[in-house]
Amino acid sequence: MAEQETNRLMALSDGMANAVEQAAGYTVLVNGRERLPSSGVAYSSDMILTADHALEREDEIQIILPDGSELSAQVAGRDPGTDLAVLRTEKTGLLPATRVEQPARVGQLVLAVGRPTSEGIQASLGVVSAVAGPVRTWRGGLLENYLRTDAIPYPGFSGGPLINVSGEMVGINTSGLSRGSSVAIPVGIAWGVAANLAEHGSLKRGYLGIRSQLVELSPEMQAALGRHQASGLLVIGVESASPASQGGLLVGDILVGLNGEAVAEHEELLARLAGEVVGKAAQIEVVRGGKPQVFTVNVGELPQQTPRRGGRRWRR
Amino acid sequence: MEHMSTGVNSVINLPDSFSPALEKVKPALVMVRDGRRGSGAGVIWRREGWIITNQHVIGSHRRMQIHLANGKVLEGQVVARHPQVDLALLRLPAGEYPSAWIGDSHALRVGELVLAAGHPWGEPGFLTLGIISALSQAVDRQGRPLIPIIRSDARLAPGNSGGPLFNVLGAVVGINTLIIGGDQGVAIPSQVAEDFVQQALAELPVAAARGNGKG
Repeated sequence: MAEQETNRLMALSDGMANAVEQAAGYTVLVNGRERLPSSGVAYSSDMILTADHALEREDEIQIILPDGSELSAQVAGRDPGTDLAVLRTEKTGLLPATRVEQPARVGQLVLAVGRPTSEGIQASLGVVSAVAGPVRTWRGGLLENYLRTDAIPYPGFSGGPLINVSGEMVGINTSGLSRGSSVAIPVGIAWGVAANLAEHGSLKRGYLGIRSQLVELSPEMQAALGRHQASGLLVIGVESASPASQGGLLVGDILVGLNGEAVAEHEELLARLAGEVVGKAAQIEVVRGGKPQVFTVNVGELPQQTPRRGGRRWRR
Repeated sequence: MEHMSTGVNSVINLPDSFSPALEKVKPALVMVRDGRRGSGAGVIWRREGWIITNQHVIGSHRRMQIHLANGKVLEGQVVARHPQVDLALLRLPAGEYPSAWIGDSHALRVGELVLAAGHPWGEPGFLTLGIISALSQAVDRQGRPLIPIIRSDARLAPGNSGGPLFNVLGAVVGINTLIIGGDQGVAIPSQVAEDFVQQALAELPVAAARGNGKG
């Protein structure tokens, strides 16, 4: 009986070692700063997704693959706001990371994986401690959600994968978003940002041309909407000739949804206005005169801000 | 094309306790004290009474108090030291003792579950769980490779020094050492300890090396 039980624990132990081995196959070393190298994951056969804050230069970035071979890489795109960057290199022969389908759950066993040295893969064990968000990061980005874990973030783990016990990527680890601790960006969000970075070089941010204020939705408004939603965004200003004004939004409308998803806070609106939605027609749901209405608005693009760090301007 | 999904999907009815592994190791886990200040841990490596601990637990002492798992306190004589890899070998009075099952540290893989037992902050027989976090090489001051080392994310504190790092089957795969050449939370692989024991026993005078059998 006891032996059977220990054998099952041995199977779990072996399974976790297999999971780390699988992740090791798509986790690379990224050498883009003076001190400690960081980690990265294969995004495609010639692109690596990594943590932006660990790149202190744009060229002469060195990648070390799982087999020990060294490649040079260039920055294809970076988004300090979400602390993600995409590097382009020659064909690595790596398969892209396997991604989880299901959203992360609090309590789920996870492993933080990194390759901060050429001596081999490294890992630490923990659980998903919290799934939180939306949040505006201190670097100015918006994350619809993010993960916290108690797995030890060893030095150089930023940019490496947080995986489940089957070796699938749950998120990408970074210590660059919350000072003094480590968070993981869910893999779905990270891949979305990466797609934009790979194509445009930076994350596009959408622009509607409204000023708004958080307001509670009355039970009658929620009944009219047909869903429980505690709050919305009262439009208190519409810029002339802006996408919002051209789409027909008026001062006094309460914005409650975008493209079929509820918008209950400013952070949610900003998070939903980033990336693919920019430059396209979006369905904006508002409550006007107590009744829900949908307007089509062509989302504009905010000019890129010049990110700063340590007083140094980045070249673009 | 994507990676094959492997892992623990096939595992069902997972037990929730690691106590069988601890039960295997516990009889061979000792507390090593100098009679005054702090204490460390040690492992009965051979049933004839040869004990492995860290050199930094022993310091310059020639004799240490050995507290066995059964409550007995015996005197252990320091017979060999290896300050560079922080290992020491002690001898208990002639007799037969419950020795540890020594595992193969060469077969370790990153991600494997491991447990650490010791007496952190004087708390006897304290157990912590983690995984093998890294398998790397300790280097000397000139940067030359010294010995392979194991890093684990199992929590360690002073008092874990010299104690066993073991797998879920109860096989000892390392000696928890805390700090080697700037690396923290590390263990010396069981194979390095075994090599040290064999060499130390081979160098002992024949009379002193009584009981140099494999335990």
